[in-house]
Amino acid sequence: MRVYLRYAIKETLANLWRNRMMTIAAVLTVAVSLSLVGAALLLKQSAAQASAQWQQGTRVTVWMQPNASASQVANVKSQLATLPIVKDCVFNSQAQDYQEAKRILPQSEWSVLSVSNVPSSFRCVPTVPSDAFVVMSTFKNEPGVYNVTAPEQQIRQMNSAIRILQIVFLALAGVLLLSATVLILNTIRMAIFARRREVSVMKLVGATNWFIRIPYITEGFIQGLLGSLVAVLAVTALHTWYPLHNEFQLDTTALVGTNLVVLVVGVVIGSVGSGLAIRRFLDV
Amino acid sequence: MIRFENVSKTYKNGTPALKDISLDIEKGEFVFLVGASGSGKTTFLRLLLREELPDRGRILEAGRDISELSKWRVPYLRRNIGCVFQDFRLLPNKSVFENVAFALEVIGRPRSTIESQVPQILELVGLADKAKNVPGELSGGEQQRVAVARAFVNRPLILLADEPTGNLDPTNSESIMALLERINRTGTTVVMATHDKALVDRMRRRVIELDHGEMVRDQVRGVYGIDEPMEIR
Repeated sequence: MRVYLRYAIKETLANLWRNRMMTIAAVLTVAVSLSLVGAALLLKQSAAQASAQWQQGTRVTVWMQPNASASQVANVKSQLATLPIVKDCVFNSQAQDYQEAKRILPQSEWSVLSVSNVPSSFRCVPTVPSDAFVVMSTFKNEPGVYNVTAPEQQIRQMNSAIRILQIVFLALAGVLLLSATVLILNTIRMAIFARRREVSVMKLVGATNWFIRIPYITEGFIQGLLGSLVAVLAVTALHTWYPLHNEFQLDTTALVGTNLVVLVVGVVIGSVGSGLAIRRFLDV
Repeated sequence: MIRFENVSKTYKNGTPALKDISLDIEKGEFVFLVGASGSGKTTFLRLLLREELPDRGRILEAGRDISELSKWRVPYLRRNIGCVFQDFRLLPNKSVFENVAFALEVIGRPRSTIESQVPQILELVGLADKAKNVPGELSGGEQQRVAVARAFVNRPLILLADEPTGNLDPTNSESIMALLERINRTGTTVVMATHDKALVDRMRRRVIELDHGEMVRDQVRGVYGIDEPMEIR
């Protein structure tokens, strides 16, 4: 066993070195394609995270004018209370909204605000999420109403943008992964071809099939592994400097999961590539 | 040691390579396999190595039917059969020592075995002083002796030689034959396919002649040509 391990390691490294240009090409292709896969997964997770966060909270906010009269506020309040599609409403006074603004906005922005120029608001939960848009259109032109916002809408737009981006990423990644597999297959084929004399002697003197095959399988495996390690670095960098990172609070579990997927896919690609090469070109 | 029972082999393109061959080769025998090109000599050797399977009949080696051997056991069969070819089949970028060591290395023999066996076998073939040379620096005869060393280093029960002297001048052929005889005297069964008439005539060993896949002669102390007096077995 020890003899074999030494032999297999020696052979694998020699093959990798002999075909180093092809190896670099294969490793880089694996790295780029897996980085795309990782990015797509991160996007998907951040989108899911964002939706989950918003779904627990308010779906429609009716913002009153800061200078709206008490009767206008009361009118909107009673309408909201009688509307069957509105399940629940909470009134936030100007003081409460000011406190909230103070909490979520950076200091440079809330410092120019004062209680009197902050709108009061109704935070409403519609019976059915899609009713948010009916609430929006109903109250938009009501006297004293400044604006009606439904974050759901923005999230949906963002989600569909993310989904398109994700599909593009995954499609690109798919094509690249395919070419990575072919590149690995080709590298292994060249390694087998370069050593066809050795292989024929090995068969002749009775080396077992696995003894002959394993160096080539590990070669593909290592190419896949190196590629996915580069991709893991890229994904981690993306996660750290991700522009939406702070807003969506993507935690390290998401990163670890994504990196695991990237590693597994890389190793599988390498093994499949070399496995195919062995089946087709190493007739034992 | 080797037993053919009504063995026939036809290749996919329809050419019959061997027709209904039955024979026995005892342990320690030295057998010449003669016949024109295309008579089935190479097929005979390939069947022994289980590179081909017979269409009909059974081949027994050391009492075992090799057609029934599962695929993963074939390498273990081949460890008991040494092979020498006309074109030597040495690895040009490895030294003489490494070429012979390779045969042990790839069947998982430990370093210590290699260190003790290889110099011993190189001594036997008379190339101890060329251990560090690469095949390109050796004469054809020397290269073939390295090939014999590689075939024999694992002490196989059977040694197959396919035209081992085909590329050599008479002197070198002579030394290869002397080597094969020496190996044969250790109890190894030797089967040698050859065209070399003079050699066969002089050695007076068992001769099996094939013609278009049929065994036309099996002679205990034979000569190459059939136009000479013979002693039918």
